[in-house]
Amino acid sequence: MNRRHLVAAFLAATAASSLSLSALAQTSDFVVGALSPLTGSGAPYGPGMVKGIQLAAKEINAAGGAQGAQFRVVVEDTQTAPQAAVSGAKKMIEVDKVRAILGCWSSGESLAVIPLTNEADIPLMHGSGAPALSADANPKRLGFRFQATNGRFGQAFAKVAERQGYKQPATMAFNNASGIGNTEGFTQAWKAAGGKVVASVVYEPNRPSYRSELQSVLRAKPDVIVTGSYLADTTILLREWYQTGIDTHWIIPGWAANADLIKALGPKVTEGIISVESVSNENAPNYAHVRDALGKEGVDVAGNVYAPMAYDQAIILALAVQALGPKATGSELAKKVHEIGTPGGEAVYSFADGKKLLEAGKRITYIGASSALNFDQYNDVTPDFAASFVENGKLVRKYVVKL
Amino acid sequence: MLTYLLSILVIMGIYMLLALALDLQYGFTGLINFGLAGFFGVGAYASALLTLKAGWTPLLSFPAAMLAAALLAWPLGRVALRLRDDYLAIVTLGFSEIVRLVLVQEQWLTNGVQGIPGVPRLGAGWGNARFSDMLLLVLLALSIAVAVAVLRRVTHSPYGRTIQAVRDDETAVYVLGKEPARFKTQVLMLGAALSGLAGAYFAHYMTYIVPDQFVPLITFYVWMAIIMGGVARLSGSVAGAVLLVLFLEGVRFTRGIIPGVSDADMGSVQLGVVGLVLILFMRWRPQGLFGGRGAR
Amino acid sequence: MSYADYINLVINGLVEGLIIALPALALTLVYGLARFPNAATGDIVAVGGYAGLAAHHLTGSLIVAGLAGAAGGAVASVLAYLLAFRPVIRRSVITLLLTSIGVGFVIRAALGVAFGHDPRAFDMPLERAWRFGDISIAPADLSLAALTLLTLALVFFMLYATPLGRSLRAIADDPDLARVSGIRRERCMLAMWTIAGVVCGIAGTVTGMRTVVYPDAGWNMLLPAFAAAVVGGLGNPLGAVMGALLLGVLQELSTPFVGFVYKIALGYVVMMVVLLLRPQGLFNRPVGVR
Repeated sequence: MNRRHLVAAFLAATAASSLSLSALAQTSDFVVGALSPLTGSGAPYGPGMVKGIQLAAKEINAAGGAQGAQFRVVVEDTQTAPQAAVSGAKKMIEVDKVRAILGCWSSGESLAVIPLTNEADIPLMHGSGAPALSADANPKRLGFRFQATNGRFGQAFAKVAERQGYKQPATMAFNNASGIGNTEGFTQAWKAAGGKVVASVVYEPNRPSYRSELQSVLRAKPDVIVTGSYLADTTILLREWYQTGIDTHWIIPGWAANADLIKALGPKVTEGIISVESVSNENAPNYAHVRDALGKEGVDVAGNVYAPMAYDQAIILALAVQALGPKATGSELAKKVHEIGTPGGEAVYSFADGKKLLEAGKRITYIGASSALNFDQYNDVTPDFAASFVENGKLVRKYVVKL
Repeated sequence: MLTYLLSILVIMGIYMLLALALDLQYGFTGLINFGLAGFFGVGAYASALLTLKAGWTPLLSFPAAMLAAALLAWPLGRVALRLRDDYLAIVTLGFSEIVRLVLVQEQWLTNGVQGIPGVPRLGAGWGNARFSDMLLLVLLALSIAVAVAVLRRVTHSPYGRTIQAVRDDETAVYVLGKEPARFKTQVLMLGAALSGLAGAYFAHYMTYIVPDQFVPLITFYVWMAIIMGGVARLSGSVAGAVLLVLFLEGVRFTRGIIPGVSDADMGSVQLGVVGLVLILFMRWRPQGLFGGRGAR
Repeated sequence: MSYADYINLVINGLVEGLIIALPALALTLVYGLARFPNAATGDIVAVGGYAGLAAHHLTGSLIVAGLAGAAGGAVASVLAYLLAFRPVIRRSVITLLLTSIGVGFVIRAALGVAFGHDPRAFDMPLERAWRFGDISIAPADLSLAALTLLTLALVFFMLYATPLGRSLRAIADDPDLARVSGIRRERCMLAMWTIAGVVCGIAGTVTGMRTVVYPDAGWNMLLPAFAAAVVGGLGNPLGAVMGALLLGVLQELSTPFVGFVYKIALGYVVMMVVLLLRPQGLFNRPVGVR
């Protein structure tokens, strides 16, 4: 009996202490939530994303806030799990009364949280790949995706394959939403252009060997194999492929075909592999600024493409608030964000510049550090992609693919 | 904070149902079920699909979820229940993995690895999300109360004495002219039904389910809960579930406390603590914090 | 699909079976003597993989890596026995099984914190396979086969031709009689755990060389190893290896019919069928399983 009383007392104490904390919240601030994976498999990216949002908030407040309202950021950890993301989101929405949630990373997190944000009529800005986040889970268009969809990755693969003159591609996909999304995107784009995919295989994660899967693909004699894969399984696939001695080429996503892969397999095996990755907006002036400012905080923007995305999320939201005022509803803000994120206005690269033009009554288009944004009708960004080739053990970027 | 507490209470409630199911099977009947996650998942998917795709009301889909899980337990029972403890453990573990693979592969039904977003909230037409959560919590609490009452009656009845006899000495049960396998199958099905109910609540609370949420680790979390709380004791199962969720959520507050361990490693630390709890409790307090007779 | 494709599938199955054979052997050795399935087996394999990786990184020699892997596995295994299993060795099977789950979690957590979750690979030269028409056999796989068979041979030699082996078999058959005959149980137990650890360690290094090393690698091979040991007959070393090979071949041969996802389920289904029809396993004499 004693222990049960102890547990009840603990719960009561926690509740009491936190109720008193939330009473201190100021009402003239514009509160946004940073809901990112600080622990779990997304932990390499989450803290950087939070820092990106906090950097943006600092700049916004230094420029006088959005129509005078200071941006306040509340941070919660998703633990890279849908369930923890949901409890974090619920707390933010109901206790902190956030006006938007930024920074979600994995598809599981975003898919679990978006019903909550839709219900609360607030925008959700994320970097997840799942197709459902475009339309099915996004009926009110309150969701904004700052990372290329898996489908777009697949289209980029198709353009690269076409440019290299391949005619008989095959696909191999890691059995999860992202891997399958990539290869299905490729297949759709390839078939739409009149081509044929000679073989396609989906393989289970965490297996020690993929020889049968590989053999079933190689049997169809493809001239290129397009993958939706990760580093560990790509290592195994390439190793086993090399040992077969059968000739073919590879197009692999950039997060799997990177320096680590080359180190693991050596230059002979990896020679000629094409690595395709979406590029940050490296020519934009704010990219260098974000890279340096976040670099001072210990975030390597080249290794964490999500950090500048999170920065852009906060900036463009603030510009919308500047345009409409802090009392605007979530739907109104979302429409404004869409307008600011599409071409047609004067290009701006920072909050301060955008605020000036908005006060002068001009229409603006925010060009992000992570990409030129350019939202489509589902509020997905349409970034460019880079094709890099492994030559003598080094990745060399050869050309950029625009969709 | 209230809403956060609300979500914690819901998760506690779901784990309570799972712990009650496992305690009935293991604590009272001595069945080593390492496949709990499979029944949990079947219940979740059954209710989600029936409400989303077939338009059923939760009033019908929840019992259907319980039935689906129980029916799934029947063939498992026929195959496995003549086996000794450790074999049963391995077989049930393999079984829950087979269930997960089916959930992954049969995309026409389950949407495979993409998961099912948009599972309807309870009482969706009557109020907003907060109302749904409160409604779910109330129904969940009622379900737990009913489950505890029913299980208390069962375990204190002649039936209950028989199943505990099955746990303690199967030969004696034979001598009394009863067939242990029949009782084992029934208990397995009853526990499966409870797990399926927990799954249904989970699906409608999360509104997004994916096969990766139904992995063996969940089963071992529930084992940890009943071992901490005390086997063969219903109040122990309830308490164990509370402790488990406090532990799992506690990670949120201990970020940065342990020197030298980065945030990314906290997941590993959590796993290690679960392991330590299992080892230490098995050695020094196998009857759990709240005791209970018959624990081995 | 030509006949060559089927032969390739059989070869793949044998290779996959060999990867699982050593952990299955370790499982069955522990079961024979300590009478419980050790769920930490997979994680001890992972420890061996990391030990071998570190040694290879330092010295560049495969032999040293193998020895280091064996040593790492042995140390982890003996420590697990002394710290976690010995205090509860007389308790019920379920106690030991749950303890072993806990030990596995602790090892996996330690590996995750120490080495991180990024997969690591051995820096090794690769050779092309030998091709006979459409049938391909990789030299690396032949080395793997040779190493596995060598380890097996050594274990069998130990079990059947040395006094230690006789003592171990005696204890496995009848613990009380063994004690009465003066066989020192504690010494034999330590020896057995060391041997099981060595087997796991070698498995970890070899698997790491063929694939990649990451903290969860061991857990992912645990259930297949269980299935193999059960199918062959728990406690029977030859059975564990034959069970692993059999399951590997059956799984790969099934892929044209059930696909690459369900082939994994097939292993578990075969295990259940064997338990239903011949619960002592394919290679054991009938003994109390029910």
